[in-house]
Amino acid sequence: MATVRKFSLWGGYLLVLLALPQFFDSILSISIFNQMAIAIVFALSYNMLLGQGGMLSFGHAVYFGLGGFLAVHTLILIEFETVYFSIIFIPLVGGFFGLLAAIFIGSFSTRKAGTVFAMISLGIGELIAASSLIFVSFFGGEAGVSGDRTFGPLFFGVDFAQDLQIYYLAAIWVFIATVFMYLFTRTPVGRMANAVRDNPERAEFIGYSARRVRFISFCASGLFAGIAGGLFALNYEFITEENLNAATSGRVLLMAYIGGLGYFIGPIIGAVLLTLMNSLLSNYSELWLLYLGVLFVLTVMFLPRGFAGFIMMHQVAWVSGTLRRLALPYLITGFPAFIFILASVAMIELSHTDGEAFQYLGLSLERGSSIDWLLIGGVAIAAFLGTKKSLPQLRDAWEDANTLPADEDS
Amino acid sequence: MGILTLTEVRKNFGETEIIRGVSLDIEQGEKHAIIGPNGAGKSTLFHLISGLYNVTAGTITFKQEEIQDMTPYEVSRLGLARSFQVTNIFARMNVFENVRCALLWSSGYRYSFWHLLGSQGEINDRAMEVLEQIGLKNKALFPAGELAYAQQRALELGIAIAGGAELVMLDEPVAGMSHSEASNAVDLIRRVTAGKTLIMVEHDMNIVFDLADRISVLVYGEIIASDKPENIRANARVQEAYLGEVAASA
Repeated sequence: MATVRKFSLWGGYLLVLLALPQFFDSILSISIFNQMAIAIVFALSYNMLLGQGGMLSFGHAVYFGLGGFLAVHTLILIEFETVYFSIIFIPLVGGFFGLLAAIFIGSFSTRKAGTVFAMISLGIGELIAASSLIFVSFFGGEAGVSGDRTFGPLFFGVDFAQDLQIYYLAAIWVFIATVFMYLFTRTPVGRMANAVRDNPERAEFIGYSARRVRFISFCASGLFAGIAGGLFALNYEFITEENLNAATSGRVLLMAYIGGLGYFIGPIIGAVLLTLMNSLLSNYSELWLLYLGVLFVLTVMFLPRGFAGFIMMHQVAWVSGTLRRLALPYLITGFPAFIFILASVAMIELSHTDGEAFQYLGLSLERGSSIDWLLIGGVAIAAFLGTKKSLPQLRDAWEDANTLPADEDS
Repeated sequence: MGILTLTEVRKNFGETEIIRGVSLDIEQGEKHAIIGPNGAGKSTLFHLISGLYNVTAGTITFKQEEIQDMTPYEVSRLGLARSFQVTNIFARMNVFENVRCALLWSSGYRYSFWHLLGSQGEINDRAMEVLEQIGLKNKALFPAGELAYAQQRALELGIAIAGGAELVMLDEPVAGMSHSEASNAVDLIRRVTAGKTLIMVEHDMNIVFDLADRISVLVYGEIIASDKPENIRANARVQEAYLGEVAASA
C-alpha cells in the first residue's frame, strides 16, 4: 500500500515534469521551465547541506559554477572533436567536477559545523570568485566562456538545438537527481547526517565521526550542485563568474529556506517560486528584488519552516477531515491582507516611478497627487486594520480544526 | 584483569588537577557505582573513559586495548557505550530514528550510502525491540525533542544500549526524576543491562546501594575507597567525606 503510494507519487512527479510543455509551450515558459529545472537540482543539493546536514554554506555556488565551467569546456572539446560523446552526459561531467571540488574543499571545511563552516564557505566562495577573474584561460574573465551544444553525436536524431529539447533532457536529469538525492536521505549515512545535525557529540558516541559524516554529505551535495551547473551550461551554452559568486550562493540559500529546509520537497517549492518571481515579477517591476527580500524576511519571521512547513501544518486538519472549516476563515483574513499587499506595492512603486503617472491595476496614479496618496494610504491602513481584526477568528478556526476528537495518550 | 582497567589516570585543566591518579579495575559483568560529592570529578572520569577528554597521564585499558588516546567513536566501536547527565538525544528526529541510528554502526553499515534502510529487515526489527524494552514503542514516530522528560531519559538509555555494548556507562540516569519515575527507571536499567557490565554515577544512595555490586568513592579526584556496598556503608573515611554530608543535608 505504502509502496503503491510512493511509486504513484514519483510517477506523478515525472509526469508533471514531462507534461508541462504540453500546457505552456511559449518560448518564455520553456525558458522558465529550464531555469526551474536547474534551480530545483541546485536547491535540493543545498538542502543536503543545510536542511539535512546542518551546515550553513554561503558558498554553494562554487560547486555549481565549477561544474558549469567544466561542462562548457567539455562542450568546446566536443565541438573541436577532442572528445566524442553525446551532450546528454554533460551534467555528469559537471557533477564529477563539483564532486572533485567538494572532496578537496570539504576535506578541511567540514571539520566543524556552525560558524566555522559558514565562514570557511564564505571565504572559499570569495576566493574562487576572485580567482575566476585572475585565471582567465579557464574562467574567461568577465565575459565568461561559451560553447555550442549542437555538436557531438546525435542522440536518436536529436541535436538539442531547441530549448524544448533541452527541457526534456533537463527534466530527465532533474528526475534522476531528485530520486538519488531522496534515496540518499534513506541510507545509513544520510540518516546519520540528520543525527550529526541534531547532536554531533552524541553521534560520536554511537560510533560515527561527525566530521566524516559531514564530509560525505558535503561531497554528495557538491556532486549534485555540479550536475545543476552542467544543466545550466547546456541550457545557456555559456557561463560567467556571476554563476559562482556570493549572489548565486545567496539565491540558493533563499530558495531552500523559503521553500522549507525541514522537508525534502521544500527546496523544490522554493526553486519553483523564486524562479517564477525572478522571471515574471522582473517583467513588471524593477523592484522585484525588494519584494523578494521582504518575502524572505516574512518567511523567516512567520513561517520558519518555509512554505512546505506551512502546507504540512495542515496535515492534522486534512487527516481529521476538518480542512474545509478553514476555507472561509482563510478567505476572511486573506482578502484584506491581499488588499493591504496591493496598496503597499502601489505606494512603493509610486514613490519609485520615473514618470509622473503610473499605471496600476487599471488605475492611473499620479505621483504629485496628494489625493492619490491619501487614497492608497487610506486603503492600506483600512486593509491592515481589517486583517488584524480578522486574525482572532482565524485562530479560533485553526484551534477548532486541529482539536483531535480523542486524545491518544499512552 | 577485568574488562576495564584504569591505571594512575590523571587529568589537568590548566594548573588545576581534577583527576589525581585514579586506578580502578572493573570486572566483566560487574555493576559498579561511582559516588562522591559535587565537583569530585565523576563526570570528568566518565569523559576520560569514553574518549571525550584526553588523559594528562596514565592508561585506560578496555578489553586488553589501550583506549586513552582514542576518539569517542573509536571507543564506542569497541563496545563501550554511555549516556549523559544532561539529556543528549537527536531532538529533531523521531524516537525510532534515534534508536535505529544508534544501531547502525554495530549492524555493520558504517558510512554506507549504497544501502537503503527501508521499514523492514533486521535493523528495523531490532530498533522496535529496543523501543519495546524502554517502553516507547507507541511513541516510535514521535519527535524525540517533544517527549516528556522521563521518556527522554528512557530514550537516552535506549540509545546507549541499542548497539549491544558490553560495557554501559550511565551518568546520573535518574537525576531530576520523581520518586515513581526513578523506581521505574531503576527497573529499566536492571533489565537492559542484564548480563552487561555497568558503571554508573548516581547521587541517590538508595538506588546506588540497590543496584551496585561494588562502589567506588571519588573525592577531589582520588578514589578513597572501592568496595562492596555494605563495607562502603561502614567505612569511616567514606562517611566522613561523603555519606555524612548527605545525611546532614537530608
